Parts: sequence; structure tokens; C-alpha cells
Amino acid sequence: MSKEAHLKRKLILLLVFGLLVTACGGTAATTTAPATATTAGEAPATTAGGGTETTAAGAGGMEDLIAAAQAEGTLTTIALPRDWCNYGGVIDTFTEKYGLTYNGLAPDAGSADELEAIRANQGSTGPQAPDVVDIGLGFAEPAKEEGLLQPYMVSTWDSIPEDAKDPEGFWYGDYYGVLAFEVNADVVENVPQDWADLLNPEYNGAIALAGDPRVSAQAIAAVTAAGLANGGSLDDVAPGLEFFAQLAEAGNLVPVIAESGTVASGETPITIRWTYNALANRDANADIANIEVVVPASGRYAGVYVQGISAYAPQPNAAKLWMEFLYSDEGQNLWLDGYCHPIRYEDLVANNAVPQEKLDRLPDVEGAVFPTLEQIEAASEAITTQWDSVVGVNVGG
Amino acid sequence: MTSISEVGGNRPPPRSWNWVGIVPFLVFSTAFLLGPAAILLVRSFQANEGGWTLLNYQQLTDPQVLEAYGLSVRISLVTAIIGGVFGFLMAWAVIYGGLPRPFRSLLTTFSGVASNFAGVPLAAAFIFTLGRIGLITALFGFFGVELYQSGFSLYNFWGLSVVYMFFQFPLMVLTITPALEGLKKEWKEASENLGATSWQYWRHVALPVLLPSILGTIILLFGNAFGAHATAYALTGGTLRLATILIGAQISGDVLQNQGLGYAVAMGMVVIMGVSIGIYTILQRRAERWLG
Amino acid sequence: MTVTAAPTAVETPAAVVTPAKAGTGSKVMAWLILLAGIAYFLTPLIATGERAFRAIGGTFSFEAFRRVVSDPEFLRTFGESAINAVLTIFVSLLVIVPTAYWVTLRVPKLRSVIEFITLLPFVIPAVVLVFGLIRMYSRPPLAILSTYGSTRVMLICAYAALSFPYMYRSVDNGLRAINVRTLTEAAQSLGAKWPTIIRRVIFPNLRVALLSGALLTFAIVIGELTIALYMGQHTFGPYMSNLVRNFVAEPAALTVLSFAMTWAAMGIISYLARRQPSSKPKKAV
Repeated sequence: MSKEAHLKRKLILLLVFGLLVTACGGTAATTTAPATATTAGEAPATTAGGGTETTAAGAGGMEDLIAAAQAEGTLTTIALPRDWCNYGGVIDTFTEKYGLTYNGLAPDAGSADELEAIRANQGSTGPQAPDVVDIGLGFAEPAKEEGLLQPYMVSTWDSIPEDAKDPEGFWYGDYYGVLAFEVNADVVENVPQDWADLLNPEYNGAIALAGDPRVSAQAIAAVTAAGLANGGSLDDVAPGLEFFAQLAEAGNLVPVIAESGTVASGETPITIRWTYNALANRDANADIANIEVVVPASGRYAGVYVQGISAYAPQPNAAKLWMEFLYSDEGQNLWLDGYCHPIRYEDLVANNAVPQEKLDRLPDVEGAVFPTLEQIEAASEAITTQWDSVVGVNVGG
Repeated sequence: MTSISEVGGNRPPPRSWNWVGIVPFLVFSTAFLLGPAAILLVRSFQANEGGWTLLNYQQLTDPQVLEAYGLSVRISLVTAIIGGVFGFLMAWAVIYGGLPRPFRSLLTTFSGVASNFAGVPLAAAFIFTLGRIGLITALFGFFGVELYQSGFSLYNFWGLSVVYMFFQFPLMVLTITPALEGLKKEWKEASENLGATSWQYWRHVALPVLLPSILGTIILLFGNAFGAHATAYALTGGTLRLATILIGAQISGDVLQNQGLGYAVAMGMVVIMGVSIGIYTILQRRAERWLG
Repeated sequence: MTVTAAPTAVETPAAVVTPAKAGTGSKVMAWLILLAGIAYFLTPLIATGERAFRAIGGTFSFEAFRRVVSDPEFLRTFGESAINAVLTIFVSLLVIVPTAYWVTLRVPKLRSVIEFITLLPFVIPAVVLVFGLIRMYSRPPLAILSTYGSTRVMLICAYAALSFPYMYRSVDNGLRAINVRTLTEAAQSLGAKWPTIIRRVIFPNLRVALLSGALLTFAIVIGELTIALYMGQHTFGPYMSNLVRNFVAEPAALTVLSFAMTWAAMGIISYLARRQPSSKPKKAV
């Protein structure tokens, strides 16, 4: 009897001990620099403490901002994959420069999830509350209207193009790319150069979109871009849907979602992605496959992403410092390394702030068109609702 | 055996307080399951622009949504039944089939791992096997049979079903094992003494006894497939419009959709689950009645 | 009449339950079934393995595996997840076993309600659950998600809830296989109170069921992704997903390795479950 009672007691102690250990200790956050205690609770829980200034100048200059950020100690981001626009390089440089700990949540999160994370974490100071978001243009206004963002104008605010930012400073474009064909040249002999080429029978079973057009901004952009090359416009996406219907019927389009891995392995040798994703993949998988990236001759479509600071950011000063960094020449150049066109591109080039060899690495995107918010919304609406009926790959069993 | 209606010996059970025993469960469920999920109910009545609406529920009758529900229910039923049957057979084989003993624990531990082998790795594994450039596809091609030309495809309903089996079989094996185990050997001996064959024993003694457990496990498999999302998405890229994928598209997409609709569809799934449990409970009572 | 009605031998129960002669017909069928099962399960794994071995440079090599194993994060995250898993199993057992027992014995009318609740995790999308949890526990007076550690406890409780369908069904099947009422009556007539009954009569007889439930729970926790991601937890799921995002080589090797490691962990749990000194009387009363 006592032996068994002892066992039971031991098990309970073990359980309690285990719970205590996990509650109090936590494990080292090893994706970041040597982890100090991740209790961000030292900073005041709301934005009331030192977070209402909307410009760096207002906050007492860069030095004060840096000091305040370092006092907070951590920056929490969401949906920033390291291989997207060289965010890896950006993050590493930032953390090294300012000594902050970096906490990156859910790299694969979509824009809707990012906003949900802000919503749900109202009032929370824990490591799961994001400070900043990087969302698609279509989400910017709704986020602002819902009060999820707080305004901030970086010191280089004026050099950001007017139509790529909110006049009150709640959101601001960060980078853009153009849709290109990402082709596994080991599998595909004749690399397509334009949209019309994709209809070629030699590409049977070879083309896949990099997202579900009913859900993914990148895929919707692809449909619109195809439309541009086939007589459509930013306001009329019907030709784009038609084009994909033809692709599907010819059997060239397969109902699989392409991504870096599937292109490199040859499973989906042709896909349509933003230049920066395609080029980054080309470099990353150079030892596995020979990937070529081709910006189509016609139908060049540019997509802008947007930055914002969460209205409930637990570390608002760190967030502001991050923004200052991203929009500094240094930050913008790091994005350039990731093949993204930073939003201040024109300004940088005009001031010779970009080394020539970087300019040379960029693909030619002349003639790319930038849709407005309204056009994106209209296109999304049309494509998400009509994809099934117009293109509809029949997979019923 | 003593009468099953007697409980607790001499003390009359304080009837009205019996439910107190499940309070811990209710508290825990509310704290970590029902509470967080309450948002499902609330938001299903909200419109995109704010404010309350019944429109989302109205949209549940759209052919698109109904088709999604139908597809989900179909694949869940198919994989639950086939998974149940073959899983049962496998469990039987290692427990009663006269196989070498190590196979029993091998199957148990393997089933443990395989039961949750899902999502991207599972889809990838099957793509490597039966995809366009997969191992088996290539093998067939070696012998002159071009699978994909002849209409076969991994990326449809039946392909997905085959993939689902990978975690349905093990789930059945692990969950039905305690029940199989519990078959009293006296019953087998008694039936043998009465001259029954093995098959008769199973048909008239063992299976009826096991029926409640089998039913219970099949509803588990049903729920498991019903709620599956990652595997289907990874395999078909969202082209196979299951209810879960529809929900994901509305709630988590990269494009602003109608989130309220997503939540309404999810509530619909809750209702379907409830109905399934209702049907299962009726079947269960019948099964238990046979046991007397 | 034994107090413990289920096969209680400490060695593999199969030895006790297998009828003296499994007829040849049965044996043949058993082998066929086993072989069919092996063929079905092993083929995708072999295909994955093949991909892992020839991933880098197209020739047979261990390179992909080496890359994965040489990352210290691989073991660290697996370890963190494994600890989470074990704690989850404990919590789940503590909640489910008494509940299932009580439902079977005292409130069978509530069975469908309980079963419905246990099946809810299937129809609640993970993102909804995680954001719901964050939402609920971020505001005062329940604002407890302020550190990595406290969030981890929340994670474990959420995982326990996720394990309910599997744990409940296993335990329920186990309970059906033993004559719960008789055991309870006998124990009560010996003067035992409820906690003792649950501890010393029910738990030991549910050995196989608890093992099944534990293995299923372990698997869920090891691979769980969505909740861990949004809770900012550095566990195995997010680690794997991060790797899979980018390169072709590692995912296949990662799959094979994590499969093998999880299988080993299952083996350990299974072994420990059998080894535990039997606490119930072995002799017939």
C-alpha cells in the first residue's frame, strides 16, 4: 500500500514540479540573441508610457528613441520570413546594431492573421503580442479604421511617395516587387518569356500558382497581371480569368500550390511569384536546381506591402526604432539585397545611395503598373468569387 | 455477475448531486475550449463592416457552402468506415492473429507516430510516392504504365482519401485495442466448447460486444477527418473545397474576405458534429441493448 | 471472482488473451493484413527517405541528415515539445479518467453531452482557438499571458483540451471492457472511497487504454504548429515548419528524423508503461 501511495505522490509532485518549471522558467529563446528574461513587463503595459510621440523628433531625437527602445529590450514581429526580401539580413543587422532581442512570431501568417493577432492581444504584454505588422495594401485602411494601428512618421517620411502612405502616418508602403515567372530550367527546356508562352503545350502539367487565387494576394495579382497582357486592365480582370481558364483546360495549370521547395524539386517547375521571392529562391537553391526568373515582357504588375505599428504594441519604442531603421538608407538597401524594390527607391537612386552592382542585380521592371487600393479590392472581389465558375478545376470525387 | 443496476452497495446515491462529478471537466473545457471558441458564435453574427447580421447564416445555403459540407462529410464517412474496418483488422491481427509478439508493440508505437503524421509532411510523402514524379508513379512508368495519362491523380477526392488513411488506420488501431484486449478469453473458450468456429465466435459474440466501442471509435475517426485541414491544403492547394478549407480562406486569407461567413460555416460544422453524435448515440443505444 | 477483471498480467497481455490455437486460417489472414498494412505505411516513408538521401547533389548521401542534426535547435525544440507532451498527458489523464468513469457510472444521461464537448476540438479551427485563448487571457482580471513561461502553461492546457477526443475515447473503450460497476461495488464493499477507487482500481485496469491515449496525445503535441506559432513558443512544430519553408533538402530528412525520434519516444513511453510495478492485487480474491 505505501509503495503505491508513494508512487502516486511522486507522480503528483512531478506534475506540479513540471508545471512550476514551465511556468517560472520558460526556456531560452534561442532564435534570438542571448535571451534576457522575456518579461517585457518592465515597460508600461500600454502605449501610454512613452509611446504617443508620432515622430522621432517629437520623441526627443534618435538618441532618446534608441535609449527608450533598449530599455524595452525586445521587438516582437509577426509574419516576417527570413527569406522574404532579405528580412533575415535586416533582422540581424538591426539586432546587432541596437542590441535588442528579436522575437519573430508566425513567419507564415497571412495579413488577416496579423491583424487578428493585434486584436486578440489587446492589453497583453507577453511575447505573443506583435509590435509591428507588414501587411498587404488592401488591409491597410481597414486596419487603420478599426484602430489597430498607431501613427508614426519616420525621419525620412518625406521621401516616401505620396500614394504609398497614409497622410496621417498610420501606414506606409515598405517595398514592392513585380510578378515574374520562376522556372526550374533543369526541368523546363524553353523558358517562357511572356504570358502567351504559357499556353504552349510543352508546359503541360508544369504550371502552378503560388497560392490559392481565392485567398492569396500573390495569386490574385497573377490573375490580374495575366489579364493586363491579354487586353484587360487594372479595372477589368475578366481577361485574366479567361486566360487561366484556358491554361486549366489545356492541362498546363495544375491544382497544386507551388512554393520554393516544389519549384526547386521540379514538382511544379513553373510558377508566378514576386520577383523577390523568385530570386531569393533561385539563390537559396542554387546547389539543387538551376532556376531562372523572367519578368514577362508584357503584363507587368507591381505589388506593394505596407508597414504599421500596432496600437497595442507592448514595446512601442522598439517598434519605432525598427521603423526608423527600415526606412533609413541602410534598411532600404538591405531590402534591396533581397531583390525587393524599397519604397524610397527613386530617392535613393537620385542621391546615389545605392551601389551600382546592386542596381545591376535587379531585374528590369520597366512599365510595371501599380494598382490603387480600390483596384485591388475590386480585383480581389471579382477573382475570389469568379475563380471557381470561370476557371474551376474540377476535383470532385 | 451482479445486477448492473445496483450501485454503491448500501448507500442510496444522492441523485441530484451526481453531476458535480463532472464539474472539473466542465470547468476545464470552458476555460480552454468553450470560452475561447465562444468567439465563433459571436462573430458568426457580425458583418464585415461591423454591426450584426443574419446574412452569414443565410449564405450557408449557397451551393458552394453546401457542396463544401457535403464533400467534408463524404470524405469523413469514407475514411472513417474504411479506416475503421482495416484498422480493426490490423489490431485484430496483432492481438489475436497468432503473429509474433514484437509486432504488437511495433504496431502500437508506430500507430502512435503515424496517428498524427499529417499536414505538409504527409502530403509531401505521398507526393513523393504517387505524385507526378513520385516513386511508385515512376515504377509504373518503368513498366510502361503511365498513371497520370490514364486519368489517375493523387490530387482529388480519392487521392486525398488514400492519404487520410495514413492517420485514420493508426487511430483506429490504438483506440480499439483496449476494447479488443478486454475480450474475455473465457468467452472464446466457452464458444469453442460449444463447437463454434472462430468466425462464429466473432460474429455472434465478440463483434456484438465490441460494437459500442467500434461505433465510438468510428465517430472519432469521422471527427478526425472532418476537422482535418492541413493535409488537404498541402495536397490540393485548396482546390478540393472542404468545409475546413473554406473556413480557412475566409478567416485567414491574405485577401479581405467575409470573416463572418467563415465563422458561420464553422458553426455549421459544430452543428453537423452534433447531429453526427445524435445519430451515433441512437446507434449506440441499439448496440447496447443487444448486450442486454 | 477477481477484483481486476481485465487481463492484468504484467507481461504483454497478448500472451494471456490469445486463444490457445490461432487457427491457420486466422494466421494466414493475419499475415496478409499485416503485410498489406506494412506495404501501405512503409512506401510513402521509403519515398520520403529516398528523397532525403539523394536530396543534396542528386547522389546518395547523408548530407541532408547531417545538416538537420548539426543544428542544435533540432534537439532543443524536440526536447521542449517532449516535455510539453508529457505534462499534457498528465493533465489530460487527470481530467478525463475521473470524468469518463463518472459518466459511465453515475450520469450516463450526460454521456452525449460530454462526448460532444470532447469532439469539439475537431471543429474548432486552431487559429480561432489560439486567438480566443489569447483574447481571453490578455485582459484583466485574467491577464496571465505575460511571460514565456505562463504562456507555456496555457499551451499545455490547450493541448490537453485538444487531446480530449482521443483520450476520452480510449478511456471509454477501456472502461467498457472492464466491468466498472462490479469493480466499484466490490471495492466499495471493501470500504474504499471514490478517490481510492479511481486510483487503485480504475487506473491500473485501464493500463492499455491509458497507453493508447498517452501515445496519441504525445503525437499531437510534438507536431502541433498553429497554437505554438501564435503563442510565440519555440517548439518542434514551428521549427520544422520554418525549415520546410525554404529548402528542399531538409524537409525530407527532417520528416524521417522526426518520425524516427517520435517513434523512439513512443517506444520509451510504451516500455515504461509496461514496466511500472503492478499495484493491484494479482491473486484472485
